[in-house]
Amino acid sequence: MDEVATKIIDILKKHMKEPRDDITLDTALTDLKIESLDLAMIVFDIEDGFGIEIPYNANEDVEDFKTVGSVVERVKSLIAAKANA
Amino acid sequence: MTKAGGARRVVVTGLGVVTPIGTTVAEMWDSMKQGKSGTSALGGFPLDDLKILIAAQIKDFDQKARLKHFKRDRIITLADRYSWFAAVAADEAMQQSGLEYPFAQPYRSACIVGSGAGGLTTYETAYRDLFIHNKRATHPLTLLRIIGSSAAAHVGIEFGIKGPTFATCSACSTATHAIGIARDYIRDGIVDVAIAGASESVINYGTMKAWQALHVLSPEGCFPFAKKRNGTVLGEGAGILVLESLESAKARGATILAELCGYGMASDSQDMVKPTVEGPSVAMQMALDDAGIAPDAIDYLNAHGTATADNDINETKAIKNVFGDHAYKLAISSTKSMTGHPLGAGGGIEAATCIKAMQDQWAPPTIGLDEPGEGCDLDYIPNQGRAMKIGYTMSNSFAFGGLNAVLVFGPPPA
Repeated sequence: MDEVATKIIDILKKHMKEPRDDITLDTALTDLKIESLDLAMIVFDIEDGFGIEIPYNANEDVEDFKTVGSVVERVKSLIAAKANA
Repeated sequence: MTKAGGARRVVVTGLGVVTPIGTTVAEMWDSMKQGKSGTSALGGFPLDDLKILIAAQIKDFDQKARLKHFKRDRIITLADRYSWFAAVAADEAMQQSGLEYPFAQPYRSACIVGSGAGGLTTYETAYRDLFIHNKRATHPLTLLRIIGSSAAAHVGIEFGIKGPTFATCSACSTATHAIGIARDYIRDGIVDVAIAGASESVINYGTMKAWQALHVLSPEGCFPFAKKRNGTVLGEGAGILVLESLESAKARGATILAELCGYGMASDSQDMVKPTVEGPSVAMQMALDDAGIAPDAIDYLNAHGTATADNDINETKAIKNVFGDHAYKLAISSTKSMTGHPLGAGGGIEAATCIKAMQDQWAPPTIGLDEPGEGCDLDYIPNQGRAMKIGYTMSNSFAFGGLNAVLVFGPPPA
């Protein structure tokens, strides 16, 4: 796993009530028992950690946040977009 | 078990406090026995240009240890400090009451936990981040920490309360109003059990500047009714009671600590900071009438006693107004001399103090009272507490804006 993925998994673990070590890119966020408030804090930490802003609305189902891998991809594209801006 | 008119009697079965002189009822009571002051050098944040450099702060509060057994409320340790205090005090009161929770009849329980200002320190941190440190966002929990109803919600979640749950807000009368309203809900049959009181934690740079600008803080200490008094000292903490109907307490064989037998409230409707004698007098008289007792039945009165020039003279006049000759025989003290002024939480801490005084037949002192101030000529139990017969007690809360609320406690019904 690359640096972005490792950093994101560390952030996820920080916000899990029972952190586990078997998280892969395929792990669904629902399997991590992450609820809306946890997600808000995770997004905040990811934004801080990568210097990006993730457009997201807690009222909507967020396709980008289905699995750990989808979060990593979204963050990578935002980092790239920022670099090209 | 009803009074005339069918109203139900309401009793207290649990007490909980967090104060600068002890973060349990037992610790606070022990400190009061020793006449200990909670005032110390202000700290915990950059003092910069502050001129008032003392406060009654709760030092070394370990919320993680005190809240680690919370089960239903999973984010309590991430809440504002004022919610921690409320949760810890509510927990102590609930444990003492012996009530099982989450409640079997959740819609028959209420959680009325007020706060004068809610999460002011969270505001300050968030605004510093935004305006000074140019952070791009506030912490995601900022809003939930700030709202003045968050303590009530946290406590309600933990104990499984699904009936009326909200905060009161009336500055220094906040807890007293909360307890009074909860009493009425039980009396009127809306609920059978209530967790009621208030919590406050606002000691930070911005709050100190705001109080300093009002020129009512003492640079030296909180000396109610004393000649040397020159203002109040900001405190913090929580005071919470478990109230229930007499039927409910008797049915489950609970230990009844006291009866909450009188509640009075009256507003001055005159001035934000200059109190009237009339408002506090009417509130005290209403509480006595509500309890159905004569003024001379009160043995101990826990005064609002803020150590401001105006309050102490005004409160003394109001007490004379209501109690007549008995005012001079009444044992009165301001325990703010020890706890500092816990603002909205004051009435809750002082209600617990009144009940401890009844249980222990011992009235706590007003410390720092070496020489009484002009116009302060009643028995304020100077410096040393007093073993005495205590039947009924009264607790006064008189807030900025002229918002007055008074509680009367009596012995457990036979």
